[in-house]
Amino acid sequence: MSFQKQPNSIKILAGNSHPELAEAIARSLSLDVSNISAIEFSNRESAILLGESIRDEDVYIIQTGCGGQEKLNDYLMETLLMIHACKAASARKVTAVIPNFPYARQDRKDKSRVAITAKLMANLLTTAGCSHVITMDLHASQIQGFFSIPVDNLYAEPIVLQYIKETENYDNLMFVSPDAGGAKRVASLAEKLDTQFALIHKERAKANEVSRMVLVGDVTDKTCILIDDMADTCGTLCKASDLLLEKGAKDVVAIVTHGIFSGDAINKLNNSSLKSIVCTNSLPMSQFAELCSKLSIIDISPILGEAIRRLHNGESVSYLFSNAVM
Amino acid sequence: MRDIIVFSGSSNSALADRICNNLGLPKGKVELRKFANGETSVQFGDSVRDKDVYIVQSGSGHVNDNLIQLTIMISACKISSARRISVVCPLFFYSRQAESPSSKRGTPSLSGVNNPKNINLLDSVPPSPRSLSRNGSKPISSDPQPKELLNSLKSASNILSPSPSYRPTSSKLSQLPGLAHVQPRSLPTNNSGVTSSANYRSWIAQSGTLIANMLTSAGANQIITMDLHDPQFQGFFDIPVDNLYSKPLIQHYIVNYIPDYKDTVIVSPDAGGAKRATAIADALGLSFALIHKERRQKIVVDPNSSMPLSSDGITLNQNSSTPSINNPQPMKHSSSTTSINNGFPASGTVTPSSVPHLEKYVGTTMLVGDVQDKVCVLIDDLVDTSNTITRAAKLLKDQGCKYVYALITHGIFSGDAIKKLKNSAIDKIIVTNTVDQDAHVAEIGSDMMVILDVSRILSEAIRRINNGESVSMIYDHGW
Repeated sequence: MSFQKQPNSIKILAGNSHPELAEAIARSLSLDVSNISAIEFSNRESAILLGESIRDEDVYIIQTGCGGQEKLNDYLMETLLMIHACKAASARKVTAVIPNFPYARQDRKDKSRVAITAKLMANLLTTAGCSHVITMDLHASQIQGFFSIPVDNLYAEPIVLQYIKETENYDNLMFVSPDAGGAKRVASLAEKLDTQFALIHKERAKANEVSRMVLVGDVTDKTCILIDDMADTCGTLCKASDLLLEKGAKDVVAIVTHGIFSGDAINKLNNSSLKSIVCTNSLPMSQFAELCSKLSIIDISPILGEAIRRLHNGESVSYLFSNAVM
Repeated sequence: MRDIIVFSGSSNSALADRICNNLGLPKGKVELRKFANGETSVQFGDSVRDKDVYIVQSGSGHVNDNLIQLTIMISACKISSARRISVVCPLFFYSRQAESPSSKRGTPSLSGVNNPKNINLLDSVPPSPRSLSRNGSKPISSDPQPKELLNSLKSASNILSPSPSYRPTSSKLSQLPGLAHVQPRSLPTNNSGVTSSANYRSWIAQSGTLIANMLTSAGANQIITMDLHDPQFQGFFDIPVDNLYSKPLIQHYIVNYIPDYKDTVIVSPDAGGAKRATAIADALGLSFALIHKERRQKIVVDPNSSMPLSSDGITLNQNSSTPSINNPQPMKHSSSTTSINNGFPASGTVTPSSVPHLEKYVGTTMLVGDVQDKVCVLIDDLVDTSNTITRAAKLLKDQGCKYVYALITHGIFSGDAIKKLKNSAIDKIIVTNTVDQDAHVAEIGSDMMVILDVSRILSEAIRRINNGESVSMIYDHGW
């Protein structure tokens, strides 16, 4: 005689990094956010307060890599503590939903005696008891290989395409990648909309600093759409925009998945030659939207919600790689 | 010293300097910084290949930053072919959470809580007959602090309204703002296996195993720590943990710096620290007293008088912030836990919440032992918000003690602890430098705070471990 597993339900847990996203995902699944939250003590240690049973449930922890100098590592610890707490509370399966994966750029040993921190994060998440990770537009998809657990790397591409179709007149479009690494992303978009693409090659002297840029391709009289996976200090985007206009582009729009906007990025954007910048709400955007009128936001909670629904029901997630969910 | 290199994290580099000094080594070069987006970055400037690496990092300051930095440092050493990685962590990370009483924790600071459902959570749960859960956490609702938290939360509860800049991409999403304040207790729509949380006793998850596993998984081979708050913490690790003691240092201070130390009384501010304090009292042949906190005291307020009475008719000396009771009935081992205020009814005011006929559970403290006209030495391993120790000092002074020393191993002093200590009945604070104390000394004044240096114990332990000698000898002798 074998025991049939009882059907269980989805629990959406919100970390402190992005509660709005957790709310939105829960709403897209017609659920409530669970009564489990992270608190901080006066000695700056974090702890998880569990106010609801999650025994034998499928738990999805919504947390993203954000918070800047002050909070980024706090949120990271929160994620680990929350995973650990869910395991301690006998959850059947713990999935970390981390749209913007922290430390994704420290993914290789580019200098002597540095850590491959992305790998360390993978180890820490697994050690804490995570059994599945959902993320979006990983900076390097090889990071999936750092994990010994399944990682679903979702793409913002379908929803970005939808956005472009809805808002831009795409007869005269040109996709531009601000660095060689993003060429594949741009080529894929250009193919889907049957347009052309260009590349900017940059020589980077130091992290977060851009030195020299070379444009490959003709952008004269085109509406250029700069595509990147993340916008951090926005130095690259602003310089690329200047370069494109200089080379005869009509106007320049930037679409990025993760708007980190650290330092004085918002100032730079406001003063830049970019017509507008579009990013997803993989990080909390409300404070930026107030400061930057050029910023518009694409909501990704339906994609994440649908991925969670499919994962829970054992359906294929790959449908989401090519179809937009609204 | 062969093949040894000592690095310092950013939490306590002064201590690392002292350790290196004692060992006669230059401190290892390491570049610790953060990227613009807040991600920590570590790069070692000295080769660690085939070396015995020691990383000094204390669990103080911005704890999570320091912990993540430590794991990154360990990992970087590991992939740079270090032979053995030892973590020197005088104050261990999250060492306190392994123990459960919420009264001993720090106050939850509001910054971390922005989920409006906490309102239900903190407010909820009628106290049901309490069974000792595996986690043993205290009911949140019985603690006065979350009540304050609750009130502040209510005022801050509208922060979740979605930003108007969210692009409504479908009809469902366009209803967003209207749904923002849905009652959290609305019926869940998925009906399989949903249990109501009304009868769920909320609890705080313990993190000990996680911290241990994080360090092990990053690549640490050995942990050196000091005065672990919870000795069971050692059991969370699969790697060796050397728990050193500051006891020799503290004894040395008592013997050499406290005048007429033979007449002093060693006092433990709570029952949990009794063992630590008695060990010192025994070693020095001193008398011992204990302050006991109890939460079970039942109070009945007499409707006819405004005097709060305990169930057996004892008057209370109650102040609004820290209700305390001095039990006039002599304890078995003591003749001096005498009644308060010369036998007059307590002059303490009735707190607004003490409604007539309402039975209430309050925290009470009592002293077991004689401190009349004595010099008292409070011994505690860890002081965070300093509530316990300042309350203890006040009780000691109330009981006729002349002078109060507080000997503390780990002085975290978070929140306004320093201010509280400055205004407290404590006359002198002696604390070790497991946590960097420079800022604290500057604030409280060097005449009131004395720093004991633990670097010699730590460096001797490092030397012995590096040489493969026994470490247990320094448990008793210090160095």
